[in-house]
This record gives sequence, structure tokens and C-alpha cells, in this order.
Amino acid sequence: MTGPRSTLREVALGRRRLTFARASLYGFVVLAVLSWAYILVGVDSGLGDLFSHRAWGNAGHFVRQLLGLEAGLVDGGRPAFLEASRWAETGKLAYKTLLMSVLAMSIAGVGVLLTFLPAARNVSNGELGGRSSFGLGALYYAIRLVFAFTRAVPELVWAMVIVFLLSPGVLPGAIALGLHNYGIVGKLSAEVVENMDPGPARALRSAGAGNLQMLAYGIIPQALPQFLTYLLYRWEVVIRTTVVVGFVSAGGLGREFRLSLSYFQYTDVALIIVWYLALVIAVDLLSAGLRRLIRSG
Amino acid sequence: MSQPPSTNEVGGSGASTPPNGGVRPIVDSRSIGKSFGALTALAPLDFTVGPGERVALAGPSGSGKTTLLYILAGLLQPDRGELFLDSQAVSRLRPGKELSEIVGLIQQQLDLVPQLPVVQNVLAGRLGQWGLLRSLASLVSAREREMAYNALSRLGIADKIDERTSRLSGGEQQRVAIARLMLQAPQIILADEPVSSLDPARADEILALLTDLVEDSKGAVIASLHDPELIKKYFSRVIGLREGVLQFDIPPQQLTAPVLAALYGFDRDFPNNSAL
Amino acid sequence: MIWIEPPRPRPVSRFFETRRLLSLILVAALVWSVASVDWTGGIVHSGGGNALKDFFLALFPPDLSPGFLKLALAASWQTVVHAVAGITLALIIGLPLGVLASGSLGNPGRSRLAVAATVRFVLAFMRSIHELVWAVLFVTAFGLSSLVVVLAIAIPYAGILGRIYSELLNDVPQEPLDGLRSSGASPAKVLLYGRLPMALPEMLSYGFYRFECGIRAAAIMSFVGIRGLGYEIQLSLNDLLFSQVWTLLLFLVALVLLVDYWSTRVRRSLGS
Repeated sequence: MTGPRSTLREVALGRRRLTFARASLYGFVVLAVLSWAYILVGVDSGLGDLFSHRAWGNAGHFVRQLLGLEAGLVDGGRPAFLEASRWAETGKLAYKTLLMSVLAMSIAGVGVLLTFLPAARNVSNGELGGRSSFGLGALYYAIRLVFAFTRAVPELVWAMVIVFLLSPGVLPGAIALGLHNYGIVGKLSAEVVENMDPGPARALRSAGAGNLQMLAYGIIPQALPQFLTYLLYRWEVVIRTTVVVGFVSAGGLGREFRLSLSYFQYTDVALIIVWYLALVIAVDLLSAGLRRLIRSG
Repeated sequence: MSQPPSTNEVGGSGASTPPNGGVRPIVDSRSIGKSFGALTALAPLDFTVGPGERVALAGPSGSGKTTLLYILAGLLQPDRGELFLDSQAVSRLRPGKELSEIVGLIQQQLDLVPQLPVVQNVLAGRLGQWGLLRSLASLVSAREREMAYNALSRLGIADKIDERTSRLSGGEQQRVAIARLMLQAPQIILADEPVSSLDPARADEILALLTDLVEDSKGAVIASLHDPELIKKYFSRVIGLREGVLQFDIPPQQLTAPVLAALYGFDRDFPNNSAL
Repeated sequence: MIWIEPPRPRPVSRFFETRRLLSLILVAALVWSVASVDWTGGIVHSGGGNALKDFFLALFPPDLSPGFLKLALAASWQTVVHAVAGITLALIIGLPLGVLASGSLGNPGRSRLAVAATVRFVLAFMRSIHELVWAVLFVTAFGLSSLVVVLAIAIPYAGILGRIYSELLNDVPQEPLDGLRSSGASPAKVLLYGRLPMALPEMLSYGFYRFECGIRAAAIMSFVGIRGLGYEIQLSLNDLLFSQVWTLLLFLVALVLLVDYWSTRVRRSLGS
């Protein structure tokens, strides 16, 4: 299957490839035109609203309320971000949010570590040593199906379903985030193994290694740094999403954000956004530092 | 290269082979052949290698050298014929432990695991002897570290033992691969173009090391390479292959320019090997 | 016959120290996160176990009545519309910002670096805030409409696209660019004839990948009340109609996988 291809065939393939990409581009343009037409013609397009004087007046009002320049209906007092007690309270929520994101990555990471090897085609079909068997083949498809399903459903939808089953708190949100990222990191990690240079594993085989020894010495050490790098990249995305999942799963900053909005406590909203940005920046820096450690280690 | 001609604790095992005068060949190829689809990589091939022999495989690229080495290493199954290593049919040897005691292969690309520290790549030569638990434990804290250290210091790179393998130079990685082979201690050492990417001085050194391992163990070494000077210096026999067919099987002294020209298909004189 | 000096205890190399540190941090994070959860009782809802059972039983079969399939199809279309519009707007905003952030326009000098740094900061801010948070803020400010939702998707996505595009534009091989420069091309021409054509396949394939993410983003916009797959899922969940939830989930999965397959084919055909 991986035999040498003639250059002529490659050229021929290359030409067909180009056509597919170009056709896709045209297809997307058509889709874009249709979509925009649908939105702009639709009743609730909001095009008029968005450019009306009143809308911008409202928006300006909202921004001034966020900044505490205009007293809200309820908070007659000082803006929340000038109150040390509010900082401490929201700080606790930020800690919970961070915890939720780390727990989510732990769930996804452990899940992927347990399942990504049989989800790689070259492991399940015995290319990297071992034998293919019906069981392994079935396992491959089963795990790939789970990857696809968990990945395709967004975190928030997972959260909506899970709060029906678990009591609210950090855990349901973490599970929702964990499920979605399990699918993403799992697929990527399995692909790392599939694209791996088979040479080292083959060399280990000729040095007398059995199947599991080959996994331990040849495949896992090669895949692990990539897996961790993906996990850290996803953590950067997850910290942004944790707030959103908090909307429904009632954990961390997200819940407070929703409550403050519905009680028109806009300076609280601003404070939460500050915490949110602080978390995002902190996680980005942490993740970048850890990824550098992985590269040098 | 001035290693003391010692019996070496690391590289040799070789207790099971008959004494040097014995007639039992260590490699016995009975009409083994291999095709990939319509392409005949190796026409049915008969030859034997006795203990202590150092055999060079010569031939243009695509001549079947790598295919032959892979079959000898048990990584490829021949389509026809049968291969006996140390008087045992290879098809009956268990891959892993049994096979790895008899043959070991150094490939052109070395194929070390780049992310592991050197010591683990060397200790991988012991995987055939170790059980699973011991191998896993060794990944956390290296077992039989002295063995790896001895092998590496014999090769002059003991100070690299804890380096990440990918940080080493090409020449150093080659030594790591040889150190792994020393710990594996097979009777037959196979090497696929071990010196093709090295400068002449390095090439000399590496071949001296490889052939030295065999002298200790009364095993055999079979390596593919092109340079006639190196073949004459380190090998006791040279087999020429072309398009999967055996062209000659001669002592290196008979490796004259016309013989080489015929093998490589040159009309004129055999040029400097660097052109290959 | 021991002519080899015995191994001396050596200081642990930096390589090992780094590895140890890394493992320590990761294990500590795992332990901290798992230990911080209150595992003592009350994890599952009262009645959560039954709900779980009902939920999974409802998969056999999902609601496949023609009326509901029509509704699911319409919801899928609305989700696609928002995703496509969001991505196109993100491209329109993100591409020029990406070019500016790459610092490949204008003459070399401090002002160009200042512009690039400023744009990079803006891009970072845009992508720091999740699309749904943008949506909530916009809806509060402007009221609910399709355009607001499209804008909420477009802003963080433009932030991501801009960053990735600036990196792709900078990572092209330099030799052809030097060739263009030596023939007297201005930075704008180097961009148009050198950087863009070389980076275009990667940019296109990344754009298609983002399209897949955009589908998910559009689906969860239901949260602010815009119609689409997420909205219908929420309605069906509230009415405890789990077999409908499954139908909608399967539509969503199929949609995402379809776009994923499309973008994979495009990426493969572009050779990246």
C-alpha cells in the first residue's frame, strides 16, 4: 500500500487534488452568499437595529454601566471593583474556575492515555508489531466512534445534558469539558501514533522486544510529548470555555456572571471579566512555560 | 582504534557455538527468495556463513541487500526457501527473545527512540531478556545501568549516558546503536550500510568496532557497504548482488576494478566510492 | 580483565531534572484537581440515576417522526447559516489584522513594529473572550438578532485566525522573498507575490478547520436565545423528551463530522 508511486501518478493526483480544494472554495463562497442572504433578509436580522441611534445609545449606556460611571438600578453603592470584599469573593470563584479547567484536563488526559493506543490504526492492525485480531479491530472502530461523538458535541451541550444527571458544582462542568476535549485530544494523539516513524519500533523488535515492551519503549515515549503539548494547547481553550460551561453547570465565575447580568449588577460583570482575563492570561503563560519544558525535556 | 583485544564482558556471549574449527554454518540460506508484487527483490539464493566470518554485501542500490538483511534479521518472511540460523529454522524461532539472541540488526537510519535518554536506548538491547515488569520499572529507574555504562565507555561516549538521544551527533548516535547491539549480544550482527553517512575516519572506526565484536564471540557479521578499500580491510568475504541475483561470492582480494565495474554496471573504470 | 572504570555517581543531567519537574507538576495538578472535588455523596442528583437510565434508553430509538426530522433539519440549516456567516466575517476581519500583525507591510522600522505589537494585543484580547460571553454582552447591549450572534462568533474567531495567519505569513521560506526584494519589490508586492501565495494553502486549510469549530459555536448560541440545534436541544431537554434530544444530538454530530470530513479532504488535497 505504501509502495513507491510513480511521479506521473503523483502529478495526476496533484491535479485532481487542486481541483477538489478549488471546488471546495467555490462551494464555500456559494454557501456564504446563501447564508448572508438568509440572515440579512430574515426578520430578525438586526441589521437595522445594529445601526440605529437607539441601539448605540443603549450600548453606550451598557458600557458606562459596566465601568460604574452610571449607577445601576440595584447597586446604588460603589462599583464592585472598588470593594475588596467583592474581589475576594470573585477570587474564590476564579479559583474554582481554574480548578474546573484542570479537573477537565485531568479527566480528558487520563481518558486519552487509557485509550489512544488501540485507536491508532498501525497499533490495532499490528503494523507496529503484534497481531491484528478481530477484537482489536473492533476496539479501534469503537474508540474512534467515541472520539468522534464526544468531539462533535460542544461542551455546553454536554453540560446541559449532564446537569440533568449530576448535582450542580465543579464536577459536572469538568466532565462536560473533559468529554469534549477527550474526543479532540484522543483523535490527535491517535494520529500522532499513526504518523510515527515505524523505524525505532522495528529496531526494538529486532532487539528482542515483545509487543508491550515495544509500546513502552518505542511508541509511548515518542507520542507522550506531543500528547502533553496538545493537552496544554487545549487547556488554553478550556479556560476560556470554563466560564461558559459555568453558565449552566452552576460552577465558578460563569454562574456569577449570569446572575450579575440578570440582576443588572453591571460593575460585578466588569469585575468578573477582569478575573476572567486574568485567568486566561495566567493559563496562557503557564501553558507556554510547560510546553517549553516539554520541548527541552 | 586501539581497544585492548580482551574477552569482553559486554559484547560477547557465544558459548553455544561450536569451536572455531567446527563445520556447522551459522547462517544457512537454502534458496530463499522474496518478491514484492511483480518485482523480484531477491532471486532464490543459496549461501552459508561459518562462525567467525565477516561478510560484506556489495551491489548497487535496489540490488536486494536490504531485503536480504531484513530476511536474515527475521523482519521479513521469505516467499520461498528456508533460512537456518545457528542450525534452527528461522520460521520456528519465536520473534523477540529467541531470535534476538541469534541476530541483531543495525539499520541505516539507526532507528533509536529520539525522546529517550541514551541509557534507555542502550538498555533496549536487554528487552529480549527482560520481562515486562522489569522493562517498565527500568523506564522509571534504569536497571543494569553498569552494563550500559560499560558498553558506552568502551565506545568512548560514557559521558553521554543521561543525554537525550536526539541531542547526540550522528556519529554518537551510531555508537549508541552499537552499544545496544553489544548488550543484545547476538551471535550474528547485521548492519545495513553502517558507514554510508560517515566521513572516512569515522567509517574506519565504526567498522573496526563492529568486526571486533564478532571476533570476540565467534559469531558472524554481515554488512552492506560500497567502499572496496574498507571491504578489503575489515571483511573476510564479499558477496555481490545485482537485481536480486548473486553475482559473486569471493575473498575481498579478488575484488578488482573490473569485477566492481561489472557489479555496478559502469562502462569505465570504477570511480571513487564517494560518487556512490 | 576489568579495564573499564566503574560507573561513578554523576550529577543528574538537566534533561532528567526537567523531566522530573514536568512530571511532578502534572501529577500535582491531577491530584489537586481530583482531591478538591467533594466526593462525599450528593454527586448524582436525587433521581439522577433514573434520569440517566431514561436518557440512554431514549436512544432506542430516537425520535424519527417526519415532523420532527423536518424541524431538526431546519434547525441544522440555521446553525450552518450562523456558522458560515460568522466564519466569513471572521476572515474579513482576521486576514487584514493578521497581515498587520505579521509586520510584513510597510518599511522596516520602529513604527511597523509598534503597529504589529498593537494589533497582536488587539487580536489576543479578541480571542481571550469566549464567543458566548461576547454574545451575552452584545445581546445585553444591542438586543437579540442574528447579526449580533454572527458578530459574537466572528470576533474571537478573527482573533484566532489573525494570529495563526500572521504566523503562517512569517513562516514562509525566506529565499524567494529575498529574491523578490533584490528585484526591487516593495513590502506590499513581497506580500502579494511571495508571502500570500506561499502561505495560502495552509491558510485555507486552517480556515476550513475553523469552519468545523464554527458549527459548534453556532450551535451553542442557542444559549442567548437564537434558534438552531442547541436551542431545540434545550427545549427538548426542558420537556424531558430525551428521544428528541438524541435526534438533535445525532444531527449535530453528523453536521460536525460532515464539515470535519470536508475540511480533512481539503487539507489533504492541499497537502498539509
